[in-house]
Amino acid sequence: MENGVQNKLLTFFLVSLSSTFFAEGYEKQTWFGDPNLQGVWTNASLTTLERPDYFETLEISEEAVLAAKKSSEKSIEEMDNPYEAGETPESGGDVGGYNAAWMDPGSEFLKLNGKYRSSIITYPENGKLPRRLTRWAIEGPFIYRMFTRADHPEERSLGERCVVGFGSSGGPPMLNVLYNNHYQIVQSPGYVMIMVEMNHDARIIRLDSEHNPDNMKPWLGDSVGWWEGQTLVVRTINHHPQQKFRAAIRHQILMMPGAEVIERFTRTSKNEILYQFEVNDKKAYRDIWKGEMPLRSTESKIYEYACHEGNYAMANILAGARAEEK
Amino acid sequence: MFNLRLHLFLFIVFVNTNYLYSDISFGPNGKPDLNGVWQVMNRANYNLESHSASAAMQLVEGPIVPIPHPDILALGAVGSVPAGLSVVEGGEIPYKKNALKIRDENRKDWLNRDPEIKCYLPGIPRATYMPYAFQIFHSSEAVFFAYEYAGATRNIFFTDPGEAPVDSWMGQSWGYWEDNIFIIKSNGFNGQTWLDRSGNFHSDKLQVTEKYTLIDDHVMDYEATIEDDETFTRPWKIKMKLYRKLGDDAQLQQFKCVEFVEELIYGEWRAK
Repeated sequence: MENGVQNKLLTFFLVSLSSTFFAEGYEKQTWFGDPNLQGVWTNASLTTLERPDYFETLEISEEAVLAAKKSSEKSIEEMDNPYEAGETPESGGDVGGYNAAWMDPGSEFLKLNGKYRSSIITYPENGKLPRRLTRWAIEGPFIYRMFTRADHPEERSLGERCVVGFGSSGGPPMLNVLYNNHYQIVQSPGYVMIMVEMNHDARIIRLDSEHNPDNMKPWLGDSVGWWEGQTLVVRTINHHPQQKFRAAIRHQILMMPGAEVIERFTRTSKNEILYQFEVNDKKAYRDIWKGEMPLRSTESKIYEYACHEGNYAMANILAGARAEEK
Repeated sequence: MFNLRLHLFLFIVFVNTNYLYSDISFGPNGKPDLNGVWQVMNRANYNLESHSASAAMQLVEGPIVPIPHPDILALGAVGSVPAGLSVVEGGEIPYKKNALKIRDENRKDWLNRDPEIKCYLPGIPRATYMPYAFQIFHSSEAVFFAYEYAGATRNIFFTDPGEAPVDSWMGQSWGYWEDNIFIIKSNGFNGQTWLDRSGNFHSDKLQVTEKYTLIDDHVMDYEATIEDDETFTRPWKIKMKLYRKLGDDAQLQQFKCVEFVEELIYGEWRAK
């Protein structure tokens, strides 16, 4: 073969190769051939798990989004400035927790296929959790104690205890909260690792693997995964019994130890992963529930989330309660 | 003739280089594949320096010989310390005089001072040689360490990100390859971690340079150079082997110990 023809064929091969792997500005496959989900991602969003009553449909207009954003900004303004000039807090009153400086919930509603969404939940169609009220009534006293009692550290929320992040930040399903909404994904042969910023938890998903014995119930559950085409499917069971109530300002869910969660991760572009999930928990819900949201790539570097090491709050919450009893 | 010699020389170098690394698997970007679950098999976390077996990490004066501190006594043989050889190059850590005094005070008050007892993040290099495994996720885009102990994690940047924006327990790390050795430089530590259970410590001036060298598919040479001119008279090194876990055991387990120390830390504030 003449050199010229060889060069043309080589060029064609390299162009084809690069269009296969780099067509959208990122390597579509890892070095060992799996679809590439790697990077630092965020699910920060003003969209909440459940649909607020003032929205009627899943997809919402830009006008509705603008109005909701204005309302959100107003609430933050009021929270940051609760007192008029010269006014002081009442003695013995609630000192509150956060102001806006501590929050990073994102500034936009989530958008899929070019349309804003009013909820992460896509099924049931009303965007609400299909709660089984009898189970929630049984769990109610424990949930009530979590926010009102301070007799023991174990009865406070897992986020306050620095065991895992608030709410279902670490999941599964991995839901957005008021801050620390970053996730780093790194893949190696046989594994997908998702580092959840809050609380520096590495979710290690074993690919094409069996679940561990049922008596092992780790924090964030036991996850195994497999590829269906370009989609990573993850099945999680054996949720930690103490993680059954996941409380955050933006969502409150029950996840009983027998629940099954199926997640799907599909890279749709350089800057986005479509994250979908389905929860099957017959003890806590009348029906399955499903949701979806984008994970957006970010150039942000993730800071260390060292919570337990500086958890002066827990000692103060308990000590304060004991002082009140005197 | 010169060209022929040059080619012969390059061929010999190529053959020898491949021979040297013939026992290792290569991974992303043609570099040695560091992926896997690794753990030491040594006693460095008890004491980096050589030590005989003893009854406990913290001893008090006894009628004839030192005896375990009352708070460890109930553990019996489980609370005792196995012997170990030094992993410190030259045998001893080159402390400055005042720093050595602090080390000795730390040792005497181990139960109150060792961050491991309170399940605090372990820092570097201690995370490497604790008696727990860690998993390396090594891809062309990232190198990430997940440690079993306390669920600690550590991302390794591929370029120097500059000064750490804030001090932290695990520090800020960036790494690069020199031939087939992965080198990690870490700084930005908060100075609150220790180097072992024997009170060996450092300040927030700590800088660590680690070298990970795969010598076959199951063993790595680990070396860490420790620099901290506030605590030590000169830079010093530790060296040890890391072993890859195999088979069913090659799965990183979870040891989120925060909940295990709640009684220790908050017990005095429980409702009676």
